[in-house]
Amino acid sequence: MKLFSILFVLLSFSALAQDDLLDLIEEEPQTEYAYATFKGTRIINLQSNELPAEGVMQFMIMHRFGALNDDFVYNFFGLEQAQTRFSFDYSIKDWINIGVGRSSFSKTYDGFVKLRLWRQSKGAKNMPIGVVYYGTVNYNTLRWEDGLPHNSSDRMSYTSELILVRKFNKNLSLQIVPSFIHFNLVEDRETPNDIFVLGFGGRYKVSNRVAITAEYGLQLNDNFYYDADGNKTNYNDALSIGVDIETGGHVFQLHATNTRGLADPQWMARTPGGWGDGDIFLGFNISRVFTLKKPKMPDAE
Amino acid sequence: MKKYFTLLLVLGISGSTFAQKQLTREAFIRFYSETPVENIEATTKEASSVIDFEKGEFVCQVLMKSFLFEKALMQEHFNENYVESEKYPKAVFKGAFQDWPGAKTFKADGDHKLKVTGTMSIHGVEQPLETDCVLTIKDGKASLSAEFFVSPQDHKIEIPGAVVDKIAKEILVTFKAAYQPLKS
Repeated sequence: MKLFSILFVLLSFSALAQDDLLDLIEEEPQTEYAYATFKGTRIINLQSNELPAEGVMQFMIMHRFGALNDDFVYNFFGLEQAQTRFSFDYSIKDWINIGVGRSSFSKTYDGFVKLRLWRQSKGAKNMPIGVVYYGTVNYNTLRWEDGLPHNSSDRMSYTSELILVRKFNKNLSLQIVPSFIHFNLVEDRETPNDIFVLGFGGRYKVSNRVAITAEYGLQLNDNFYYDADGNKTNYNDALSIGVDIETGGHVFQLHATNTRGLADPQWMARTPGGWGDGDIFLGFNISRVFTLKKPKMPDAE
Repeated sequence: MKKYFTLLLVLGISGSTFAQKQLTREAFIRFYSETPVENIEATTKEASSVIDFEKGEFVCQVLMKSFLFEKALMQEHFNENYVESEKYPKAVFKGAFQDWPGAKTFKADGDHKLKVTGTMSIHGVEQPLETDCVLTIKDGKASLSAEFFVSPQDHKIEIPGAVVDKIAKEILVTFKAAYQPLKS
């Protein structure tokens, strides 16, 4: 009996001693958040779920050349009639980004806010999708040409977007973006002020640094105007395809799209041309980030 | 009575020679890449490590995603394109101290210069690694520090031509850990 107890104790210790040391530091499953769902804060025109990190300012240039069907060679492949938008944004926290922009198309200023509401995660906390809110206020500064008295509120338009996103794997990310657009002033009595758009966007990475992107803005209600001859003309849905190329500090996004507008209400609900008519615009987005507030890095002590 | 005494004795003896593992989950690791173009630094304080004083063995592991960079975009690229953290979430080192003098040596306070050899696994690629380190005992608690170089190329971490001048061929790694005795 005595021998047995000694043997037992010895045996249990030797079993312990053979435990791999690594088992001792095996981590509890942690919450792993999806990251780098898209390369840019916009897929093309459509907002992605991405926000710059806390303390980071982003400068973005969006550029759309002239249409392929508009005297293409005469206009030097459309390079001579470019539309641009510049914007600065800043992330106060990891979950809140604010910014201002200026688009040459309809001379529009915009202010925007982007809030990360939920993050996609797995592990200890499982959340199959990420949710981001994005809202803009837009103010166009075109001169009135109708000779009528106007309030400055006539210049305003708004968008609200709820970005529902899922990174399926390292390469594939998709999002659905229910959006609401309101114009304070529209062209005709019948033209709707409120337009609902269901945005679809996605990317597929073909290598570590190159991704193919596409997006589509499906207008859910009838959106039209009457042209000079009184013909009812529908606004088209915006369809864009592109390539993201990442080069260290910035991302190049090259694309083709049927929409010229760059402020959100413009490209979502004011797209007159269609791909079938050759109303195709080549363009690019470039963004550059600046770390204004450095994160606190852990040090040895 | 005699039986219990024996049992206690055995427990007592093996206890004192065995409770010789020390552990930390807050080890500090820094890596530093120095080139004429740019210096890049990342640090973490979330590495885990164990020293087995009986056998003179040492292990350490760290989640790649726990490394913090000054530039958030750089951190994202590090995880997404360089070390591919989703596929290879951890770096793991398993090794043994050379010429281990045995656990008894470390009962007293003091500094010990030692050599540790083992395998470092980063980006899913294992490479042998040998480095000098200093093992300090104070009030029965160990701390360990080491500095060594790791080559991204050896671990098959692909560096594109555009940034090849910005990332050192040999990355300096600093390791510092303060351990707590593990009750077994």
